[in-house]
Amino acid sequence: MEPTKEQLLWMYAVMAKARYFEDTMAAAYMEGKSPKFDIGAGPVPGEMHLSAGQEPCAAGVCVHLRPEDTVTATHRPHHQAIAKGVDLQKMTAEIFGKKSGLAGGRGGHMHLFDPKVNFACSGIVAEGTGPAVGAALAAKMRGTKAVAVSYVGEGAANQGAFHEALNLAALWKLPVLFVIEDNSWAISVPKAKSTAVKDNSVRAAAYGIPGMHIADNDTLAIFAAAGEAVERARAGGGPTLMEIETYRYYGHFQGDPEVYRPAGEVAALKAKDPIERLRKEMIGNRGVTAAEADAVLAAARADVDAAFAFARGSPYPAPAEALDHVFA
Amino acid sequence: MSDIVVPEGLWDTTKTPEGIVGNWFYRDGSMVEAGAKIAELMVEKTLFDIVAPAKGRLHIVVPKDGVVKPGTLIGRIDGV
Amino acid sequence: MPSSNRILTMSHAIAEGIANEMRSDPSVFVMGEDIAAYGGIFGATSGLLAEFGEGRVRDTPISETAFIGAGVGAAMAGMRPIVELMFVDFFGVCMDAIYNLAAKNIYFSGGNCKVPLVIMTATGGGYSDAGQHSQTLHATFAHMPGLKIAVPSNAYDAKGLMISAIRDDGPVLYMFHKGLQGLAWMASPEKAATEVPDEAYKIPFGEAKVVRPGKDATIVTLSMMVHHSLEAAEQLARDGIDTEVIDLRTLVPLDRDAVFKSVAKTGRLIVVDEDYSSFGLTAEIITSVVERDPTVLKAKPRRLAYPDIPIPYSRPMEQFALPNAGKIAETVRETVMKGH
Repeated sequence: MEPTKEQLLWMYAVMAKARYFEDTMAAAYMEGKSPKFDIGAGPVPGEMHLSAGQEPCAAGVCVHLRPEDTVTATHRPHHQAIAKGVDLQKMTAEIFGKKSGLAGGRGGHMHLFDPKVNFACSGIVAEGTGPAVGAALAAKMRGTKAVAVSYVGEGAANQGAFHEALNLAALWKLPVLFVIEDNSWAISVPKAKSTAVKDNSVRAAAYGIPGMHIADNDTLAIFAAAGEAVERARAGGGPTLMEIETYRYYGHFQGDPEVYRPAGEVAALKAKDPIERLRKEMIGNRGVTAAEADAVLAAARADVDAAFAFARGSPYPAPAEALDHVFA
Repeated sequence: MSDIVVPEGLWDTTKTPEGIVGNWFYRDGSMVEAGAKIAELMVEKTLFDIVAPAKGRLHIVVPKDGVVKPGTLIGRIDGV
Repeated sequence: MPSSNRILTMSHAIAEGIANEMRSDPSVFVMGEDIAAYGGIFGATSGLLAEFGEGRVRDTPISETAFIGAGVGAAMAGMRPIVELMFVDFFGVCMDAIYNLAAKNIYFSGGNCKVPLVIMTATGGGYSDAGQHSQTLHATFAHMPGLKIAVPSNAYDAKGLMISAIRDDGPVLYMFHKGLQGLAWMASPEKAATEVPDEAYKIPFGEAKVVRPGKDATIVTLSMMVHHSLEAAEQLARDGIDTEVIDLRTLVPLDRDAVFKSVAKTGRLIVVDEDYSSFGLTAEIITSVVERDPTVLKAKPRRLAYPDIPIPYSRPMEQFALPNAGKIAETVRETVMKGH
């Protein structure tokens, strides 16, 4: 499956937007946390898990999705939220804890919910798999062509919920795509020390579903594989497990001293940056001009800048608003 | 009298010029052994152990949360 | 009383308690997520890998049900495992191993089986980590028969309670507040780090501590709220109100006698808890006094706990919800006023 020029530019825009968002967020997070790193200080307090490097996993899959398709994501959700079309201003405001945020500041960066595009994320490893299965079940019961995508990390593939969800989806032949973003590290534990198999895609066989493995963070390979899996799901062919070898540039969370990571690993990864690779490919071989690419890039960055300005300029909720929305 | 100084080259100061004293592990005026871990510095979120250069009485110069750079004098040990 | 002039943060005190026991007893070992090279996300196992090696200090996959279940099995097979549940909030994925296995197997075997398992876990919020990473859940676990629960408020108690937990032949849930660990990157109260002796020592379970004697009112509390209560007591002292503060230290067994003795003396009871208000710790403490002798009370018993809401992310909302020294002092003042 080959992308159209429109799809190439869409993916490039999403990836550039996600990268610029994460880099901007990294700087915003450190405000008020220097020279003393106090996790509770600054305009963006608490934990922060950034996805720089993992953009292809979001762009290459979400390019095939529509607003009525569901995506569930993890504690590292920003690139997927952007790719799914979550309201960027409200999302940024939410991360800044503002009243104009998606949840009025109640959720924060790990709990971003946008029902308009059917996006939700959760901070408990693998717990998004069940809800994705549920969204797929609802689509099947209603007879729509909607599909669900559940994003997890490679660490989640060792959690019970993951296995139960795959079995249930396979048993009931549900339109769901399970995407493992394998960035090799579950905080400080490398995949080789946590996982009994070398390649999680082989676990698909345990559930009688197709397993796909994509190496080296390759956007176009992800595009092709995801396209096939989404088509299969829409046609009633059931679930797919896809494992993508990807990379995270930042630590597990911002401030992570990363003593466990070999020196030079991040620099080596940056040398094969996926956004640069896609740009070279689409300009060199696919008829996209540099001007077209630059225009898309500029627009993406402008959106991010506007979102941060909106977030910073928005007021905080009144403290007693904490008591609202416990029940429907 | 031995000086307790933040070593040079402990972290990349081009990226982060300053750190802080994260914790002291002895009160001011305590007796400490040479080589005992007496403090930890924090740069962003990375921690560095500081050990006593000599046996003696500790005098704290930079308290917890005080800002430090390479070469900052953070304390002294009165050899007895 | 502590004999050393060395101050340990609570995280180092916990790690040292574990190390003391690992040195003297080869059946003690530790497993959990990021507890080896990383030393535990909240420092509770710092230094252990270097001293004891990978065989006894084991990083696990993200498989709580499996490794806590394995902890139960290893304990029943004669080992003394310490298992870390990274955040107490993650209990949802492994609660069966805790409350249907660990907590019940001694009973199911009529005392013929022992389960010398310690489950240690990080609790608490106040630094904007939102609803799935900030809970304390004291009542959720204290409510389950068969599980002892230790909740230190400072480094000295932390080491002694950990050693007692490891030596106990039954399952112990050891709950440490992240904000007390003394991690340089998270603010902690000054009194959480204390002098700690080098040698091993125990603190018995079921013995609360009067951390501040007083005659006008009794605050019963635990964990981080001990420090906020002591700060409140200082504010109240300036107004001539002398407040006794009791640190429960263990929830199960619960030192009801110490609570009653104090309230019989002061006549005023205020219970402070960071956990959700309804159906929990505060109700249990108040009921313990009232059902024994309600006439000791000179004023309505009061409780100050987290409202019954998921923990909000945004700072003004989270700080609104959390008990703090000012709110505690205000509540105590109200009990001293006429007509309360």
